[in-house]
Amino acid sequence: MAEQALAGLRVIECGSGVAAAYTAKLMADLGAEVVKVEEPSGDVSRRRGPFPGNEPHPDKSGLFLYLNCNKQGVTLNLRDPRGRELLRRLAEKADVLVHNYPPRQMAAVGLDYDSLREANPRLVMTSLSPFGQDGPYRDYKAYDLTVSCAGGWAWLNGWPGRPEMPPLKAYGQQTEYQSGATGAVVTMGALLHRLQNGAGQHIDVSGQECIAAEIEMTYTFWPYMRLTAVRWGQRPIQPVDFFQCKDGWIFVLCVEEEQWHRFVELMGSPEWTTWEVFANRLVRASNYDALRPFLEEWVSEWTVRDLYHAAQQRRIPFAPASTMADLLDSEHLKARGFFVEVAHPLAGKHKYAGAPYKLSGTPWAIRSPAPTLGQHNEAVFGGLLGLSGDELRSVREAGAL
Amino acid sequence: MTAENREGPLNGIRVTDFTWVWAGPFCTLQLAHMGAEVIRIETTKRIDVLRMLPPWAEGQPGPNRAGYFNQYNQGKRSIQLDLTQPEGAELAKRIVAMSDIAVENFAAGVLERLGLGYEALRQVKPDIIMISLSGYGQTGPESTYVSYGPAQVPLAGLSTLTGYTDMDRPGHVGMSYGDPNAGLHGAFAVLAALWHRERTGRGQYIDMSQWESTMAVIGDAILGQSMNGEQPPLVGNRDPLMAPHGVFRCGPATGDLPPGVLPEDRWVSIACGSDDEWRRLCEAMGRPEVADDARFRTMAGRKANEDDLEGIVEEWTSQHDPFEVSEKLQQARVAAFPPLANFQLGEDPNLNAGGFFVEKEHPEVGIRKHAGIPWRMSETPCQVWRAAPTLGQDNDYVFGELLGRSAEEIGALKQRQVIF
Repeated sequence: MAEQALAGLRVIECGSGVAAAYTAKLMADLGAEVVKVEEPSGDVSRRRGPFPGNEPHPDKSGLFLYLNCNKQGVTLNLRDPRGRELLRRLAEKADVLVHNYPPRQMAAVGLDYDSLREANPRLVMTSLSPFGQDGPYRDYKAYDLTVSCAGGWAWLNGWPGRPEMPPLKAYGQQTEYQSGATGAVVTMGALLHRLQNGAGQHIDVSGQECIAAEIEMTYTFWPYMRLTAVRWGQRPIQPVDFFQCKDGWIFVLCVEEEQWHRFVELMGSPEWTTWEVFANRLVRASNYDALRPFLEEWVSEWTVRDLYHAAQQRRIPFAPASTMADLLDSEHLKARGFFVEVAHPLAGKHKYAGAPYKLSGTPWAIRSPAPTLGQHNEAVFGGLLGLSGDELRSVREAGAL
Repeated sequence: MTAENREGPLNGIRVTDFTWVWAGPFCTLQLAHMGAEVIRIETTKRIDVLRMLPPWAEGQPGPNRAGYFNQYNQGKRSIQLDLTQPEGAELAKRIVAMSDIAVENFAAGVLERLGLGYEALRQVKPDIIMISLSGYGQTGPESTYVSYGPAQVPLAGLSTLTGYTDMDRPGHVGMSYGDPNAGLHGAFAVLAALWHRERTGRGQYIDMSQWESTMAVIGDAILGQSMNGEQPPLVGNRDPLMAPHGVFRCGPATGDLPPGVLPEDRWVSIACGSDDEWRRLCEAMGRPEVADDARFRTMAGRKANEDDLEGIVEEWTSQHDPFEVSEKLQQARVAAFPPLANFQLGEDPNLNAGGFFVEKEHPEVGIRKHAGIPWRMSETPCQVWRAAPTLGQDNDYVFGELLGRSAEEIGALKQRQVIF
């Protein structure tokens, strides 16, 4: 296999859930050696599933399997001083330590940047937290839902025409993915800077800020026009909506007028499309109640796939509302080799989401499946840290692993 | 202003930025935030869509007045260059020759036709790192398909995963989420390639598909399909491991509200991840007895009786102000926060305390409160050194100072409309 871009970098990952695990995954998949440190109770992702046959098992959770390929897994009881000492020794040998412990717990689990820097001045320590390391909400308790709200994202989403429904968060742990991806970007920045003077540093990523910095144009409506952002569903132009086909749903989208004109041609230029009430994208929005039934009727004759390709061949930007099955069946994704098969000793062989990017010289790759809980305790503590069999036995018996 | 004002770990790195709209600019924004010199190549012939969309400063349209553009192009330079003229393409190559990174998000094949594809660029800069960010990627049967932000959300599968439990149609996530997500993934890939170049001297080309990078954030759902042939059910704001976990109605607002905001549109999110958190919630609600109700004592019980549970929580929240509720619950160590609207983000005490917002003078729209950099670095502090550029603001710097063209030469290029 060709050399990978981050081969030779060693990353220690601590915490639970998605954020730190995703930073480390992005690095691991490009070749970094990652040691994932779990507390003896295991990462919460081990409980999230989905599980093969829907039977929960800590080594078979889909979220955990997806996030933790290419990593070595160890357990450390960080509430025990011997556990913290082993973490410190791992940090001594690492380029990066990424974690998502809440700020108020960091010192208690040995994640104090000043003392870790003393042990390893080259260490880049990346702290991912919901509200940042400083500020009045530093110690606020938060899950993905909380950050989705605090960053201004949940407010934007709802059910078209149903204002009585509450703001709605996106599927999964998206705010953690965004913190994690941001953490990976900034960690690389710090590593590149380290090439100049050898100094590591501490990075503080705030989930609330990550989201507030990426909510499209909605935030700027206030400082530019004193307009409030509205929930998804109130749209200034049409058509921008879901329609039901024979076998599923399609997203009908005409942004530019010439896209609408090509759509009209595709529909066979029916007489109603010449009516003044549908003359441009703005009046189509004001008269959408009249427009929608015409489109509903026409779209309902199609299958999703046929309409998607027919529209796209005319350069009209429709998209299917893909189910997971549609994604796995996509000819395009197959041709690009997006899905990769990974065999795990307990969970079995399954298709995983693959490379988010294709690097021509240093390919993305899965080298090993996710670790079972504590799978690499001996390899890492014995091999990397050089503990003897006796020492390893004694820390294990002391409950430090 | 000069480059000396730029700070951050990538100071000294130069980026030729051919991107437009949102995903590509969001990628180069991360690099600019870390101090790289990002040079946007723009033209009036094919103006960036973001310069032509609202919000406009005070509602007056103009390419330099667009809040959307000015948000995602902070700290970058802009030149006007007509790439369709051979002389223009040649000047672009000269800039690339002085750059470390080139970023583009045209439709597949466009840059090749202008003579600015990867093969052409590596002729002038052998170790260039080039990334193409496109909707579908550079290969595959749908690589020429048209991709717009709002359509990437359903294409990548998020619309069949996100929605209220009783929703009769696909949902959305309220923004073109695939764009910023692709921008972050692209920035990471570029910096990983830069790391590799620093060690080996070799550049490379990166083919990045927004569709694929969006699927990277739903890997668990894809795995569920491959394992069991099924996808997760719609759960609204609920969570399989936590209860209560929702956004609850609060009491109506009193006092002045910005135009368009309904007094009854008031909510607070509450999430309990353990029995202890649930107990503390009950105490904060003034109903400690509910914690021991047989239906709600365990997580399994709360999940099984979630409708009733949510009714009890909402009965309480609906009598209170959302910020009072979240303040009270956070004091009790329960995760809670109101969903902030845009006008509330600007006033949020936490965002204001940390120096997140950026207020830099812009030549045409003055000072606006922009969202800034979502991280802090202890050794290489980052800050936005300048507001977003006006169209062609840096022509003189780039063509004169950087490429060494004389004033007469620049004048002649302007006359021939190679630059503007």
